[in-house]
Amino acid sequence: MITVALPKGRLLSDFMDYLKKQGLEEYTAGLDEKSRSLYTIVNDVKFIYAKGRDVPIYVENGSADIGIIGLDIITENEFDLLNVSRLPFGECHFSICGLPGVEQFKTIATTFKNIAFQHFKQKRQQVSLIHLNGSVELAPLLGLADGIVDIVETGSTLKANGLIEYEKIMDVHARLIANRQTFYTKEDEVYPFLKEIGVFQ
Amino acid sequence: MSNQQILAKTALGYNYIKLLSEEGYKLIDLNMIEPFRIEDKMYQPSSLVFERDQRMYAIRSDWTRSLLNYNESYFLDDQMFGYYGPVIRNNRSFYQAGVELYEPDQMSIVRSIKLHLDFVKEQIAAQDKSLRSLVVNNDYLIDLYLKKYNLDEQIRILIYDKNLSGLREELGKEHALCKILSTRASQQFELVQQEFADDQEMQLINHIKKIADQNQIKFMLDLSFRSPQSYYNGLYFQVFLNYDTPLLSGGEYNDSAFGIALNIEDGGLV
Repeated sequence: MITVALPKGRLLSDFMDYLKKQGLEEYTAGLDEKSRSLYTIVNDVKFIYAKGRDVPIYVENGSADIGIIGLDIITENEFDLLNVSRLPFGECHFSICGLPGVEQFKTIATTFKNIAFQHFKQKRQQVSLIHLNGSVELAPLLGLADGIVDIVETGSTLKANGLIEYEKIMDVHARLIANRQTFYTKEDEVYPFLKEIGVFQ
Repeated sequence: MSNQQILAKTALGYNYIKLLSEEGYKLIDLNMIEPFRIEDKMYQPSSLVFERDQRMYAIRSDWTRSLLNYNESYFLDDQMFGYYGPVIRNNRSFYQAGVELYEPDQMSIVRSIKLHLDFVKEQIAAQDKSLRSLVVNNDYLIDLYLKKYNLDEQIRILIYDKNLSGLREELGKEHALCKILSTRASQQFELVQQEFADDQEMQLINHIKKIADQNQIKFMLDLSFRSPQSYYNGLYFQVFLNYDTPLLSGGEYNDSAFGIALNIEDGGLV
């Protein structure tokens, strides 16, 4: 049996839509069950539901063989794993945002400090970075920072809070990741699954 | 850990270095506290480093690096070394056992791999375990592909990550590298062999494949297969029992050295 770590939330429903499009209703039926169970087993595949940030940790340590994750998570932190393939969902992007009229950003609030640091370093722009765990849009509204670096999906949260996008930093999409060892030791199970879901052609 | 497990682990270490001694390996034991050089941190990021009397020291975290540093300082006459002893990595202590070969020829490497497989087979003879798979790669094969297809160095990173979608985007899905990396690791060998059969490095891989076939071990070659230790820069391989952590790991490093480590702790033997 192989274990696939799935992030709870939007990426999970996007992954289910993706499986439906591939005609893999057997998997989606299993994943669709509304329960408080932390995992579902369909045929020889155990799907575990994890917090997005924990998915690469489960995969890196071999508790899961495969994981579905946003590029943002594995760009922000380094993990020793196989970054196998882009998946055709989960598209969004990182942007620098703030209230209208900011001429130069001096303080940036973000959950993704490493990504923000790399961006400003590359641009040789000196800014102070403040780490927040979420709802970063609050920071410019309360005067904690004059800008934020955050993921923008539709832009509706920004708009609702009077913020605007100043600069797009990088595109984000869903990725399929795999453990560096069980990719080989479980080849007879991992490979057919990846082929079945369309990652290997 | 039970008494039985501790005894089994100790017996395994003893039997292993006894065999190495019989086979002409020079056994080495070193102090766990080593002089620390800042460049060591690059190769051993998990080493615990401390200061005493205005000098920096590290606690041994990897026998391969320790022996290499020792050999560079003292120019040992022997070429084949064996070791068994504790290391501390990321605040965790465990025992490491293995061999280091300095300036070995291909046949010495092949003999050492065979010696290790025979040792493991003897240890598991009475247990319900079998050698399941051997995975191999050589960084030099990636050099050959980059050169043959005139590819940029950034392609190497995509290969390391096994980033198939990135490779397809950069090279097109019909490119030889995309086809190879989309192929099962157990079938990649034939494709690489078709392109570089005459290369000396493929000859070594062929020797290893032959040993794996003779021992009915599933042989896999994957261009994305890499060691977590960054000092390996040539051939690298791992051998697995019915278990997901490797029992044997080894490879070429520092251009002219080759090492094999026996995973005493959690490779599945004890």
